[in-house]
Amino acid sequence: MNGIGRFAASAATYGFLGLMAFLSIFPFIWMVLGATNSSIDIIKGKLLPGAAFATNVGNFFTLVNVPLVFWNSAKIAILATVLTLAVSSLAGYGFEMFRSRGRERVYRAMLLTLMIPFAALMIPLFVIMGKAGLINTHIAVVLPSIGSAFVIFYFRQSTKAFPSELRDAAKVDGLKEWQIFLFIYVPVMRSTYAAAFVIVFMTAWNNYLWPLIVLQTNETKTITLVISSLASAYYPDYGVVMVGTILATLPTLAVFFFMQRQFVQGMLGSVK
Amino acid sequence: MSNLQLSQVRKSYGGLEVIKGVDLDIKSGEFVVFVGPSGCGKSTLLRMIAGLEEITSGELSIDEVRMNDVDPSKRGIAMVFQSYALYPHMTVRENMGFALRFAGVPKAEIEKRVNEAADILELGTLLDRKPKQLSGGQRQRVAIGRAIVRHPKIFLFDEPLSNLDAELRVHMRIEIARLHKQLATTIVYVTHDQVEAMTLADKIVVMRGGVVEQIGSPLNLYDDPANLFVAGFIGSPKMNFLKGTTEIVEGRTYARLPDHGGSKIPISLEAIAPDTPVTIGLRPEHFNEAGPAVLDLTIDMLEHLGGETFAYARHGNGALIVVETKNGRELKAGDRLAARFDPASALVFDGEGKRLR
Repeated sequence: MNGIGRFAASAATYGFLGLMAFLSIFPFIWMVLGATNSSIDIIKGKLLPGAAFATNVGNFFTLVNVPLVFWNSAKIAILATVLTLAVSSLAGYGFEMFRSRGRERVYRAMLLTLMIPFAALMIPLFVIMGKAGLINTHIAVVLPSIGSAFVIFYFRQSTKAFPSELRDAAKVDGLKEWQIFLFIYVPVMRSTYAAAFVIVFMTAWNNYLWPLIVLQTNETKTITLVISSLASAYYPDYGVVMVGTILATLPTLAVFFFMQRQFVQGMLGSVK
Repeated sequence: MSNLQLSQVRKSYGGLEVIKGVDLDIKSGEFVVFVGPSGCGKSTLLRMIAGLEEITSGELSIDEVRMNDVDPSKRGIAMVFQSYALYPHMTVRENMGFALRFAGVPKAEIEKRVNEAADILELGTLLDRKPKQLSGGQRQRVAIGRAIVRHPKIFLFDEPLSNLDAELRVHMRIEIARLHKQLATTIVYVTHDQVEAMTLADKIVVMRGGVVEQIGSPLNLYDDPANLFVAGFIGSPKMNFLKGTTEIVEGRTYARLPDHGGSKIPISLEAIAPDTPVTIGLRPEHFNEAGPAVLDLTIDMLEHLGGETFAYARHGNGALIVVETKNGRELKAGDRLAARFDPASALVFDGEGKRLR
């Protein structure tokens, strides 16, 4: 390839990457700009900073019980994340470490559940939660997410890189299986946990459909539900919606910001 | 110091038997090396002694106490692993004291033992480092230190030097030998490297296919192997095997070697029928200029090691024979070589590879 050809190929690559980057970041920019504009300006498609930020923030805090809504979201996201990581890492460790006759069959059956769309599970889950008396509780939001086939799969795959000799050494050192898990496996696999934490926390924080079904009063609603209800009001104030969206994005941004190094390491594999 | 006995020990995975009835008696303070090719069962046997693999049948006892179902940490053993198996999130000090902490040993005693082991292994300046900040040799020393602090009755080493480079391996080999002398503890050591086995062991256990082929001192195995496998496995370069059949001429027994120009070697065996297939074993150093028997060979290739030269030679299209020559610097490929040897030094094996004496 000559110089011009190389330049054209390079320009095409960077052009494509630039377009993709723009498409990714545009909603974010729009959200920030929107928060500074009035609803009318947003509808008109104004893409410049406005002067309505303080008004929008004030309106948001008037319309929404912010501390309660954030507390609900945080409670659900943290509880779901901690329980999912605990259950899924135990399951992944168990699937990888213990040989048993039906192990692979059970594992494959579990992976098959990934193919069932949530829409097919909603009604049975709602009936179960109803019978358990859990409708309109945060436990009802958390429970279905705990046994995540995807996170178990992720932990099992990561556990393949966990040196079996560490487990042997711990056994010789006198540790029981639960102690090996707690004192050796968990610290050694902390990058895997960090990556899983980011993914599960974001999913739980942004969860919309299932909370919409089971949470029925304003006192239990999460930030995603509140923003959605603001946006679907008879006269939606999009400036206020944008402020809510920014505030709702901050916790996930913070989690990613603080854990990005371990997130990347966890994606590459915890054990080096 | 402790005795270790294995009696008809077997291990099966489903229908596959990997350890096929091993009997072994290791005396207190002995340095025993399990050696054999990959997949021979030596590491599995070591792990069974450690308690990391269940014993399917047979009995394992330490100091006359049955240990088959005893937890690894209660057997009085300590193990050094091939990959060192240091806990990556702990410092050297924490790694070494970890087992003691779990055993409820007081802090002061842990500190004392860790410092003692660090002195022995010259790890004093590394105690606050994490394993990833150490070199391969240092990690290996920490792994040994972690074993020492437990004051075990028996040390188990599973190919501990195989991850080290050649120079460090020699250095650590000497360290381990020195340590054995200093601690005078029973050591069971697994390796596939027969040089390690020869240099470290009081007693070598040669294994193949889950079976013990021969047990003996290094020189006993070298000089007096029980079969072709042991003869070939012990010694580097390995023993030459010359296939032939017996012939009796004027009351004397000879091995005729068709692959080597039909040469006839007198063998000092009685009561052997003519036309019996045999294999003659000759080590490279068995060839010497004063020997009465001779093989007429052509040199294929030479290995000059400085002190000696190994000539890889053959007769016609026959099998390669390795000949050690003291004055081989002038030799070159294509030269004729009259490889002389004393037939009395030749070992004779039958058609199944069993030694004939």
